[in-house]
Amino acid sequence: MKKKFFRLSILAAFITGFSACTDVIDLDVPEGTSYPVLDAWITNEPGTQYIRFTKSVSYTSTGATPIISDATITLYDETTGDVYPFVFADSVYKCDPANGQIGQLNHTYRLRVEYASNIYEATDTIKPVATIDKIDYKYKEKGDDGVSKEGYYVRFYATDMAGQTDYTWIRSYRNNMEKANILEDNYVIDGGFSEGLSDGQEFPQFVGESVNDDEHPYLKGDLAIVKLRSLSYPSYFWVTSVQTQMQSGGLFATVLANVGTNLKNVTDGGSKSKILGWFGTSAVSSATITTN
Amino acid sequence: MKTRLVKLLSIGILLLWALQTNAQQRFTLSGYVKDQQNGESLIGISVSKAGTGLGTVTNEYGFYSLTLPAGEHDIQFSYVGYTPIKMHISLKGNQNLDIKLDKSSSQLNTVTVIGDKKEKAVNTLNTSINRLDIAQIKKMPTFMGEVDVLRSIQTLPGVQTVGEGASGFNVRGGAADENLILLDEAPVYNSTHMLGFFSVFNPDAVKSVNLIKGGFPAEYGGRTSSVLDIRMKDGNNQNMAVNGGISNVFSRLSIEAPIVKDQSSFIVAARRSYIDILMKPFLSGDMKDTKLNFYDITAKANFKLNKTNTLFVSGYLGRDVFGFGTDVNMNWGNKTATVRWNHVFNNRLFLNLTTFYSNYDYSLKFNNGSTKNESDNYQAYNWTSNIINYGVKPGFTYYVNTKNSVHFGVQGIYYTFKPGKGVSQDGENTNIKNLTLQHGLEAAAYIDHEWKPSKKFGVQYGLRLSQYDFLGNSTAYFYNDTTPGIRKTLTGSKTYGSNEVIKAYHYLEPRINIRYGINDNNAVKASYSRTTQYMHQLSNTASPTPLDIWTPSTNNVEPQVADQYTLGYAYDATNGKYEISAEVFYKNMAHQLDYIDNANLQLNQYIEADLLPSKSRSYGLEVMAKKEIGTTTGWISYTLSKSERKTDGINQNEWFLNRYDRTHNVNVVVTHEINKRTSFSANWVYATGTPTTYADSRLEYQGWDIPYNSTDKRNTYRMPAFHRLDVSLTLKGKQLRRWKGEWVFSLYNVYARRNAYSIYFQQNEDDKNKREAIRLSIIGSVIPGITYNFKF
Repeated sequence: MKKKFFRLSILAAFITGFSACTDVIDLDVPEGTSYPVLDAWITNEPGTQYIRFTKSVSYTSTGATPIISDATITLYDETTGDVYPFVFADSVYKCDPANGQIGQLNHTYRLRVEYASNIYEATDTIKPVATIDKIDYKYKEKGDDGVSKEGYYVRFYATDMAGQTDYTWIRSYRNNMEKANILEDNYVIDGGFSEGLSDGQEFPQFVGESVNDDEHPYLKGDLAIVKLRSLSYPSYFWVTSVQTQMQSGGLFATVLANVGTNLKNVTDGGSKSKILGWFGTSAVSSATITTN
Repeated sequence: MKTRLVKLLSIGILLLWALQTNAQQRFTLSGYVKDQQNGESLIGISVSKAGTGLGTVTNEYGFYSLTLPAGEHDIQFSYVGYTPIKMHISLKGNQNLDIKLDKSSSQLNTVTVIGDKKEKAVNTLNTSINRLDIAQIKKMPTFMGEVDVLRSIQTLPGVQTVGEGASGFNVRGGAADENLILLDEAPVYNSTHMLGFFSVFNPDAVKSVNLIKGGFPAEYGGRTSSVLDIRMKDGNNQNMAVNGGISNVFSRLSIEAPIVKDQSSFIVAARRSYIDILMKPFLSGDMKDTKLNFYDITAKANFKLNKTNTLFVSGYLGRDVFGFGTDVNMNWGNKTATVRWNHVFNNRLFLNLTTFYSNYDYSLKFNNGSTKNESDNYQAYNWTSNIINYGVKPGFTYYVNTKNSVHFGVQGIYYTFKPGKGVSQDGENTNIKNLTLQHGLEAAAYIDHEWKPSKKFGVQYGLRLSQYDFLGNSTAYFYNDTTPGIRKTLTGSKTYGSNEVIKAYHYLEPRINIRYGINDNNAVKASYSRTTQYMHQLSNTASPTPLDIWTPSTNNVEPQVADQYTLGYAYDATNGKYEISAEVFYKNMAHQLDYIDNANLQLNQYIEADLLPSKSRSYGLEVMAKKEIGTTTGWISYTLSKSERKTDGINQNEWFLNRYDRTHNVNVVVTHEINKRTSFSANWVYATGTPTTYADSRLEYQGWDIPYNSTDKRNTYRMPAFHRLDVSLTLKGKQLRRWKGEWVFSLYNVYARRNAYSIYFQQNEDDKNKREAIRLSIIGSVIPGITYNFKF
């Protein structure tokens, strides 16, 4: 939604011939302190779950990110008491449940990270997620429905679950789930904008269509992948904070502010060492479609 | 409250009486000063007894009152750009004298003003006031050919913006919401069209612009940083006149005419932009339905009922419309209405009673009407918000004698805030979220005494008592104090009935201005003022947007209070050709608002849980040199300043620079009359880059590279310096007896500098594994403008 607004403002600038423009520039920013960064998102999808533990590096640096391999990471299912140790192999920490899936609906999880003589912990709960009922696409010429590029525009259909407030993270990919192929991240509350406004309603059309990268629409033969991830409120708050930091361009840009972390240092005797990142959990609903 | 008010007023009346008994065998000369050609009342005209320091200036309605000993006097009426008039008066009793001044045909042959120039900075009591006539503003280079009030004040010292396209301006280190912008005394909440590019004030309907940055007279209140007092033209009461202009952005047309010659007149002025229509051929498909326009209508009428009563009715209506086809529509705008009654009780007591209405609203609508499939539900989302206020303010001026005058009055404004209403529709199913309305009553009483015991010394001191009630019918929320910077948790709420006081605040606001004239050419001044503000614009973006809501002071949000100290020096060259002024100021601001990270400012009933109290301080030096007479006129202004804030929960609770802080700011405005029909003007601005926070690291997370600043400090970097040159050339056509036309050619940003509006960090669109720092320039090239102006 923010993005849509952002585009409106840029359009204003273009249309009036103000020639608003963006340039990539070189900035001389001294290298900052490097902190450990935990990338842990556990879902109810079947199979192996992965956790990355890296070090922060200079923003524009091009080299590979340093990986931390000597941490001990354990996931606790607080609801059942099950324990899942994550083992480091091939640059990530992995856990392959013997059968089925690690994440269970409505269970609370605690993640424990032992690293450099400190212990960090965080918890999150897997909330239910709306089901994608249908996914389809439509070929649009430039100008149809106000699009600026011709191509295949995908839309998914889902209906918000009535009752509680549901926070959902909508992510789309092209062809595979590599970093380079992530298209869009959008966040909705009860499928819409705001608490208590659209409870139980069908996800609006513009949300269903928010999976498209309007600058690079799907091409013939592309596989569109759409995933809805349920979010607890703290996780919603965090990922939308991240979103704000990642899309800080435009006339209505907010100022850069650091995103927080839910990983608390629980080392006996107290310690001020910190790690960044987030431990989140989700139920996932996904759908794919190939355009042709 | 009421008893205090009565006390204050009775002290005032006693004072008046005491002052009056001193004045014996004196008579009063009073009247209105108007323009000979169009009958417009003239503001700030010097009225003085030649060869002495005795004198006054006309007020906002062109009225003056000068009490002198009985006998013979030479009275001079003068103002830059007008041919001065000297009248010989035998004062044997109170006398009424209305004067009409002739415009000098050109600045070239302006007669050097002799005698006292009461309106010059060296002679006025107040510090920190800049006044611009519309004639001056019209000479400055324009943006896309449009004369702009707000752009012109940005060339004055102490006024900054965060950049091109900013919807607000910052005065002496204050936030953009701390400026009281008045159009014929009604507050205007969004002063720009098109997201900050044009101001809402139609130059054809504006008479004068007064910017007060400090040393506020007691009659002004309600905002802490500045007052931008814009007065509309009364309308030509001599002949019908039509003014218009056609440019590449929009067209203007105004009509003014007498209703009854010398008695009453009106002006109606309208503008409409047509960028979207011009763009149509360049757009394809559904984009053809793109709407991007604004319009505004400004109108005023005045009726001189008799010698002592004048009635003014004025109004403004403006709208910005922005949308794609029928599916996306955003629009916003101000509406104001003012009714004023001027009454002259006797030659020395003048009343202006103003009542006003002001409304700012916006709406944002989405639907899938034209893009939906037949099987789809009709879905729509509609979000609206507004702020409405009604005000009344009787204000009296008592011209006791040449040495004393007293201003006093009371004011009341009733506010209704509609923070937001959201309607979500899905087929037959509609949900509505309506945030509770909020109400506030701001009341004030003030008295202000201007005392000039000698030519050398003068003082204006006053007191304003302001009272604010946060009123029902509404709900007050109560929150837990938590760690600053974290969303507060709700502990309870209470609903209050209609007009029940939820929370009351009152403040005493002392104001003082002192002037000491070293000699005719040099004066030093000092001032102190306290100002309060009971409303706050919630904006966590670089500059305010049309969709930012205003919120009143409540049980959780304390009113803003600012204390400002100013020291000034003014010099006026003997020949009247140059003026130089310098001021230093220090300002302390309490209870400003800041926001927790990722605050939810829209459609949030519990918005106060996301707000953080903050305090600011700013200080600086402002210098301005001005030349008003000759073939080359203009000014140079320089500001050296610092503005910083401290918020618990941000920047490790340490002071950090405000987003709008600029250390150096230089403006050069020059107009040169090449000959009677050709003039050239240029404007150059330089400003230190605004503070910003850069990412020194990135966090890899779920395919993202999150920008992060490992120092946890805010605004420690600065963007590159801002500078820009604009020029314009005006060619007047043959000045036929009736039809007068002129072409204005302008170039904005002549050397096509890409000034940074913001610098942000993002992954490359095409290669997510590449990260970049991006500079956004709202204006990236030279912008030409052509306007044809005409009048007949």
